[in-house]
Amino acid sequence: MTGDLEKTYCFKSENKFIVKSGCKKRMWRSLKQILAADRALPWPDDAVLYYSINAPPTFKPTKKYSDISGLPAPYMDRHSKLYYSNAEEFATVRNLPMDITAGYLQLRGASTIVG
Amino acid sequence: MEDVLVLKDYKTVPDIVHEYEPTVKFGHIPLVIDNGSYQCRVGWSINDEPHLIFKNLIARPRKDRCKKDSEPPVTPPIQIGNDIINIEAVRFQLKTQFDKNVVTHFEVQELVCDYIFSHLGLDSEGCVPHPIVMTEAFVAPNYSRQLMSELLFEGYGVPAVSYGIDSLFSFYRNQIGDSGLIINLGYHTIHIIPVIRGNVIAEHARRINLGGSEIICYLHKLLQLKYPVHVNAITMSRIEEILHEHCSIVLDYQEEIKKWANADYYDGHVKRIQLPYVQNTSSSALTAEQQKERKKEMARRLLEINARKREERLAEDEEQMNQLLAIQDLIEDGDTQEFEEAIKTFEIKSYADLQRQIANVNMRIEKNKQRIAAAANPEEVVEPRPSGRMQPPQDPVAFQTWLTETRAKYSEILSRREARRARRAAMVRRRTAAAAERMRVISRLAAAGDEFGNQDSDWDVYKSISRDADSDSDADGERIVELEEALREYEPQMPSSMHHQLHLAIEPYRAPELIFQPSMMGNLEAGLAETMEYVFKHFNAEDQLLLANNVFLTGGCSQFPGLKERLERELLEMRPFQSTHKVVTASDPSLDAWHGARDFASGNDFENCCITKENYYEMGGEYLKEHHVSNRYYRSPAPIVDNTLAPAGDANVVKEEIVVDC
Repeated sequence: MTGDLEKTYCFKSENKFIVKSGCKKRMWRSLKQILAADRALPWPDDAVLYYSINAPPTFKPTKKYSDISGLPAPYMDRHSKLYYSNAEEFATVRNLPMDITAGYLQLRGASTIVG
Repeated sequence: MEDVLVLKDYKTVPDIVHEYEPTVKFGHIPLVIDNGSYQCRVGWSINDEPHLIFKNLIARPRKDRCKKDSEPPVTPPIQIGNDIINIEAVRFQLKTQFDKNVVTHFEVQELVCDYIFSHLGLDSEGCVPHPIVMTEAFVAPNYSRQLMSELLFEGYGVPAVSYGIDSLFSFYRNQIGDSGLIINLGYHTIHIIPVIRGNVIAEHARRINLGGSEIICYLHKLLQLKYPVHVNAITMSRIEEILHEHCSIVLDYQEEIKKWANADYYDGHVKRIQLPYVQNTSSSALTAEQQKERKKEMARRLLEINARKREERLAEDEEQMNQLLAIQDLIEDGDTQEFEEAIKTFEIKSYADLQRQIANVNMRIEKNKQRIAAAANPEEVVEPRPSGRMQPPQDPVAFQTWLTETRAKYSEILSRREARRARRAAMVRRRTAAAAERMRVISRLAAAGDEFGNQDSDWDVYKSISRDADSDSDADGERIVELEEALREYEPQMPSSMHHQLHLAIEPYRAPELIFQPSMMGNLEAGLAETMEYVFKHFNAEDQLLLANNVFLTGGCSQFPGLKERLERELLEMRPFQSTHKVVTASDPSLDAWHGARDFASGNDFENCCITKENYYEMGGEYLKEHHVSNRYYRSPAPIVDNTLAPAGDANVVKEEIVVDC
């Protein structure tokens, strides 16, 4: 039905990976799966692979910045766990709705699934 | 300071189908494809500039599922690359063949290839008769290359393929020697690749998994959180525009953000970005005066309708009264026969019933008449103005002072209420000063003698220890409403364009700073400077100097203003005292990879760098012909067959019996 409508090009005889709509789609491995499969193989010692050139973890202490303004933040609100830099910001932080505080935490990668 | 930046909202222009020139067609001219995760650039090796530059994205619109089966569902066409005019309209249907910087989704890749070849006007039968130079990720997994080769050789029947690394193409294009530290800032990754005397030292190269797309997402989320009202107006493409035009990297981030704490600096340097907005007409067309007028009109009409209804009812009642009186007359005349018949039609049982009905109707008539009389001369309606309502003075100067006073009062009451709330909240919790104070008051109350209650103020104690809402705040609550109303009515309105402005303070510097501090978005990897330092450590002093004297910046994200200066400062910090260093930016950070690949394709040695169809069938899909700008080829080893874990025959299974003592 829709197959007729799909474009055909003279420079190729048939589609290689494109499946007709309605047919079963091929599942493509994600990069993570590809790397996991690569890891399982017995590579020679000198092989440089995708996962072996990841940047090292940072060894410097991470600096804290106010979540709402970006200023250096010496304080943390114990309630929402947001960083803030001064009293004025603290008042703002305290009045932020839950979804916004959660958004800021998620942006900083500080949101945990457990409490 | 006052200038407001306007978003341009760039639109893409659909690509034309280029002419398939005979020189290209019969010359077997190589086709150069810089297949980047942000953009794809395609052109023939004999051209100076790529023919096609488009975002490596497709949009597959959803099918109409509500249609009946009888009519075939209309599949909307898949939009690819520059076909997508309004990217925001299809934001949720976008797909890319990339996972990070590696191609993984080859169905999309095939669609993109179709787009490329058809827009180049290819008309050859059954195959693409051109060698292809394609870029791939640094140390791309074999699996990905295998599928790409499969697609190109089997799907399109190309005669030969050569894979190269985009950043190396760019490096050699700029002709800055054969040693250097390449820093490629891409859409998903940052690569730091040391090249010593023409050799890529892959084992000491590093990749930071962060790039333009992450920076865009960060800024997008940041601004959406800052302006929750404008969530829908803050689109990814607008953020991308802001990133391209207004963001930069600062020399010293700590110093810079300290400056922003100063309010004057903030006012002088904040960037105001105007979002598109619609003038709010519905509320401005009707002033408060007009609305009042309308209400009055409505009330008047309602009154009229009521009066008419009353009159009608009165007439009806009078009619009934007349009839009933006529019946009464009958019986008074002694005409019993007729009277009996008449009361039957009126469903009246007896003479007494008749008398009662007459009385009823009479009463109704009286009442109605009274009401009509009352409605005819209504009392003058007094404007329901509460006595305490704020009336601003007419004089403009006095008005200003009045306005500021009102504002001050308002905020004072508000803060008073806040303080009360805070105290109450603290009281509920244990071990706070407020809770301790409350306990002290209670214990003193218990100890209070008979004098308690002699003075009215004694009872205020209960107010201070009550955990419920303060009763004395009611007055404040009323006052707040009143002040709010007054302010709303008399405060000069900001033009509505002001409500649709984004104020960018630190944000334009904060987002690109992610390159140096990935920890700001919870990424635990080292930043660019730290990783560079890490890479330097793996070399001897002589090679370190070679690298430091030729730090080469390429890739789309290297176009941030200030990046070069920042890197020079970082190098000064990390390199030994009085050693030299130099940072070079690619002449065209976005396109030099394509240019370099084109130079490579038109070089003399090109044919020897290609994987031919024969190679492909002989060596397998993952095979890579190595050359000076390619990855190294490590043949995928056969997977380990782990015999120890393989299920053994039944004979080997030792049965154990477990005896459980009861």
